[in-house]
Amino acid sequence: MAQRSVVYRHSIATRLTHWAFFLAFLALISSGLQIFNAAPYLDASDKSNPAQRVLSIDSTDAHQGITTIFGHRFNTTGFLGYTDDGMGGRTDRAFPGWLTIPSYQALADGRRWHLFFAWIMVISGVLYVIVGVLRGDLRELILRRSDLPKLWPMQLYYLRLRKEPPPHGKYNPLQKLAYTTVLFILAPLIVLTGLALSPSFDAAFHPITVVFGGRQLARLWHFVIMLLLILFFATHLVLVATTGVINHLRSMITGWYRLGAHDGTGI
Amino acid sequence: MKRRLFIASSLSAALAGCSAIGTRLNDSRFRDVLTSVEALNHALLDTHGLAKEYAESDIDRMFRVNGFDTPMDPAYVALMKGNYGAFHLTVDGAVERPQRFSLAQLRSMPLQTNITRHDCVEGWSAIGKFRGVRLSDVLDVVRPRAEARYVVFHCMDRSPEGLPYYESLDLHQARHPQTLLVLDLNDKPLDADHGAPLRLRVPTQLGYKSAKWVARIEVVASFATIFSGHGGYWEDQGYEWYAGI
Repeated sequence: MAQRSVVYRHSIATRLTHWAFFLAFLALISSGLQIFNAAPYLDASDKSNPAQRVLSIDSTDAHQGITTIFGHRFNTTGFLGYTDDGMGGRTDRAFPGWLTIPSYQALADGRRWHLFFAWIMVISGVLYVIVGVLRGDLRELILRRSDLPKLWPMQLYYLRLRKEPPPHGKYNPLQKLAYTTVLFILAPLIVLTGLALSPSFDAAFHPITVVFGGRQLARLWHFVIMLLLILFFATHLVLVATTGVINHLRSMITGWYRLGAHDGTGI
Repeated sequence: MKRRLFIASSLSAALAGCSAIGTRLNDSRFRDVLTSVEALNHALLDTHGLAKEYAESDIDRMFRVNGFDTPMDPAYVALMKGNYGAFHLTVDGAVERPQRFSLAQLRSMPLQTNITRHDCVEGWSAIGKFRGVRLSDVLDVVRPRAEARYVVFHCMDRSPEGLPYYESLDLHQARHPQTLLVLDLNDKPLDADHGAPLRLRVPTQLGYKSAKWVARIEVVASFATIFSGHGGYWEDQGYEWYAGI
């Protein structure tokens, strides 16, 4: 246990906001799916319009769950459409009870969770960025012009088509791309597309709803951005798990990170 | 592939765990913490600006029917059979001049029309052409007293359990120029399923605020003593009183 190989990587503020963001993210997905269940379809239009339906999750009289994406029908019985009612049985319901908060059908409760944790996500995200700016950490996380030529070599390294990663700082160019996209593009967009669903926000800031193509399209974008954030989250999980899960978790809990051959495998 | 399995199982485990914990928290006092942001959202967003007004070509001619079933009680059926000729809107409570308005009296007031989008709390939207009297104009006739803060709408429809529908707005929301007491939908007098003969229309808030079958408007200082005290039927079931978001 050589002391010199352990560094203090994450400040207490960074760690707290990171985990608050993570908790809020999970709560927002689960409560968001609960809200989706109240109108289980997405239209590429301003008002609801079945002719412009992109996704719908229905059930048939024969208790089959049918998911329709761009007109293609899939039988998703048991998972989507006819599924877990959150109370030990099955029912006509888009997303299953084990994915929603609360598990049983309750739009009012789902909205309370969603609107509360939206604030937690916004506050922790904004604090994370402020702390990053004040401490100077954020500079290492933001994608710069000089990183652009290194993106493809880094991708080749991940694909094992290249032996060494291109030289980089604390974060590699693909990590920077991912974090920059999430923090400065996807996170603001998920908030704005959510707000565009609100009639009072629409009255006060109508041009924003127009940019997204109207209320129903904003609802579609809100859903798509959620999927992109889940994709980021999944990638994040894989990278944490394959590059020293204990070391990463410890550094995000205690702050201390052990530098090593592969950033602390086997610790 | 092992890695794919790992991602899928970690994600589902995280979300399933979140759902299970969330459900238990939802049924506890933690719910009071969640509801605390409503006041913040109301303070920040409130009711500003005008809801977008659409063109004739955007109108949904088959405007979606939602909410409680059309009233079937003898009093309403009698009203309907008489083409609502016997209908009166009562406006009372904390006002200087309580009054009853016949439909003819309401129609003789300046009528406003707006083609606006109705946004349901469930997530869907429909566009209708609403024509009626500004609530603000009716309030000017009855003159709210100094202590008046809210306008409560008592309706003729009832939940399956027999609870009457009601709603409320604060005076600022009630005085919004697009807040109408609607007589006509899509160029025809309201039909029974859309709230005949009189419904409220609040395009800056979610659809449950736009109460149908309005029979009485009560101006109050507080709605704490009305039914369960949350200012509306759906509010009493846990929905937000501030339905702007």
